[in-house]
Amino acid sequence: MLIKVSSALHIGLETVGVDVEINMASRGLPGFDIVGLPSKAVDESKERVRTAILNSQIEFPAQKITVNLAPADIPKEGSFYDLPIAVGILSAVLDFRIPKNTLFFGELSLDGSLRHTKGALLLALFAKEFGYTHLFVPKDSANEAAAIPEITVYPAAHLAEVVEHLAGRYALEPAAVSEAPTLSEGSIAEFDMAEILGQEQAKRAMEIAATGGHNILMIGSPGAGKTMLARALPGILPPLHQIESLEVTKIYSASGNIGVGGGLLSARPFRAPHHSSSLVGIIGGGTRPQPGEISLAHRGVLFLDEFNEFPRSVLEALRQPLEDGYVTIGRALGRVRYPAQFMLVASANPCPCGYLNHPKKPCICSPREIQKYRKRASGPILDRIDLHVEVPAVEIDDLAQERQAVKQGEPSSSIQERIKLARNIQHERFAKDAIQVNAEMKNAHLKQYAHLSSEVERILRQAAKRFQLSARSYFRMQKISRTIADLEGVEDITVAHMAEALQYRPKIHDEE
Amino acid sequence: MIKVIEKTDSRFPGLLKEIVDPPLRLYYHGEWDPELFKDCLAVVGSRHMTSYGRRATEHVVGEVASAGVTIVSGFMYGIDVAAHKAALEAGGRTIAVMPCGIERIHPEYQKDVYERILENGGLILSEYEGAAMPTYWTYPRRNRIVAGLCKATLVVEAALKSGSLITAELAKTFGRRVFAVPGPITSEVSKGTAKLLKEGASFVSEADDILAFFNQSGSSRNRHKNSKTHTDSDVEQKILEILSRESLEPDVIARTLQMPAAQLGTTLSLMELQGIIKQEGGKYYVN
Repeated sequence: MLIKVSSALHIGLETVGVDVEINMASRGLPGFDIVGLPSKAVDESKERVRTAILNSQIEFPAQKITVNLAPADIPKEGSFYDLPIAVGILSAVLDFRIPKNTLFFGELSLDGSLRHTKGALLLALFAKEFGYTHLFVPKDSANEAAAIPEITVYPAAHLAEVVEHLAGRYALEPAAVSEAPTLSEGSIAEFDMAEILGQEQAKRAMEIAATGGHNILMIGSPGAGKTMLARALPGILPPLHQIESLEVTKIYSASGNIGVGGGLLSARPFRAPHHSSSLVGIIGGGTRPQPGEISLAHRGVLFLDEFNEFPRSVLEALRQPLEDGYVTIGRALGRVRYPAQFMLVASANPCPCGYLNHPKKPCICSPREIQKYRKRASGPILDRIDLHVEVPAVEIDDLAQERQAVKQGEPSSSIQERIKLARNIQHERFAKDAIQVNAEMKNAHLKQYAHLSSEVERILRQAAKRFQLSARSYFRMQKISRTIADLEGVEDITVAHMAEALQYRPKIHDEE
Repeated sequence: MIKVIEKTDSRFPGLLKEIVDPPLRLYYHGEWDPELFKDCLAVVGSRHMTSYGRRATEHVVGEVASAGVTIVSGFMYGIDVAAHKAALEAGGRTIAVMPCGIERIHPEYQKDVYERILENGGLILSEYEGAAMPTYWTYPRRNRIVAGLCKATLVVEAALKSGSLITAELAKTFGRRVFAVPGPITSEVSKGTAKLLKEGASFVSEADDILAFFNQSGSSRNRHKNSKTHTDSDVEQKILEILSRESLEPDVIARTLQMPAAQLGTTLSLMELQGIIKQEGGKYYVN
């Protein structure tokens, strides 16, 4: 007797349909085999399925059972074929029909309950695309799958529930369509911008960066507040909009980074890998390529603290994703492409000892050491960072004295409001282009959307000469001035916008 | 070709012969011009120069050099090389005394300055032949030549325990004049100069303080720099007033003037473009 159950497999973010074919032969010695390039996890499925069925008080058939996972030439991995296999076997034992256009997915526990399994959202997307209408998933993963309204998702807590439902003796309640939760303000950031004393210029630079999705480099002595500024950034970033949320959740779902009961994500990701992280950890990879930090930071922030301490190979590998917004990882088993449109926030010390230009502590580095230290981050990578800002060390006494004088800093929520408006302007502007924010503009976009009047152009030329700006930084200034104008809500870029943008030029070469 | 001047040679600098243990011979690169040794000022200071130290060096040394005084220093990074550069910028001549063999450029990455010294009629000197490495004892030995060649020694920034103070001590022992530029009393690298001033070194705040000693007067070329800069805008005028007192970070200016960072950034950029102010090491100062 041959039974067919539909399931799927994930290769990166791609999903391929898999037919789970189960043959139950009454002739021959009783046994249980899985073919079709199963990995160890799939092969062990036999034991889980057998025990789960027995523990559900159902007799396991003493027949020769052969399971084929078709197409047979793609290696299968993961534990989610447990449910389709168990359902297939039981349909023969308990004599019910496997419904058409239905996918089964989920890992079984030995007691027959279904466990949270990664990739539910991808499966639902696949179902929608290929005309499947019903989906049986573990209850803990149902929220992910229910984000796709076109699919009826049945959350099941136990194998018995699925079986009883299919046999018509029990009705599983379909999951309600899940939406991304609305964020309560300021709940996602560790710090509020208002908590950071001083650093007016750096905060402003952060605001500009967050508005246009620009990459930013902060240079300053230890303790100046670089990390605090970066950690306050999520609080001023606008929440993910619907399409972005789906993109990001897909990556998190595929890599098993969504917790039990989790659904669509609404906060922009903030990833802060340590500088000892490996190339594969940052970029992505492995025999079965997994997304790296840059993809987990998609549509969000990748914060590289102590930028210069990262291995050169890692920094160089960032170049292509920074330019293209995605990364393609080739392995013997195939090629996988992960999106990686992130905003790079980097922080670095001004010199190896960290105290160059510090008001109190003398720097003990020789020019040679400083030069060597700065060269660790190559020119091409620095050239892809739009804003460069210095974060000077602040003396506690000064601040305490000035605290009265300074009116309390602006809270993150009010900065975020401004940024949201400026982002809306950008969305409208780029409605026809395949980009989202100013930072992604290429030369053609610049010509069209960031026109400079002759007066502004004159200022920029003058600056390029006086500050020795490279050709690339010339265009960067244009992009930043566009963002500053957007923040103000005006169409034309003025001299004032350009002049402010010039504050964030790279200043390293000024210091010989 | 090895160029060398023996102590017995009549062209050997007279002042250097007077010291306790003059070098027996000097190896050199460049054209030996006895005129070069007539009026020499040694400029020494910390390797860990602050932006104040660099500006002070440029302020004083450039004018002294353009009046025809030869600037002698040790070619080390920091104040030394800033002094060489200031002299070259002003069209003056300068002598670098090396702590290593004459065939070695130390530090190597300052090769461009090395070449400019030679192109502008200056000299590279060393008492060591070949490509000997500098060692911890060759530095103070070199310092006695720097001090010995010169009628006066100017210390710009020096910590309490530093080679610059050794050079100043040597100059005193040789009966030469010691000048010192005062610095902020809170700065580590100004504690040495403060000590020198307390002990009786001559106070320097402008080139004339030194030129008077050499019986020369400075050109008025640089003088107009000190006249007050004016701008039309009120805000710019206020910023200038603050910056003429001390160099400051934009954040501090913003707090003092109660001005949003965005607007201040715009103003600072425009002022910098006009060349009214400059920024270095994160701080702005009046040009």
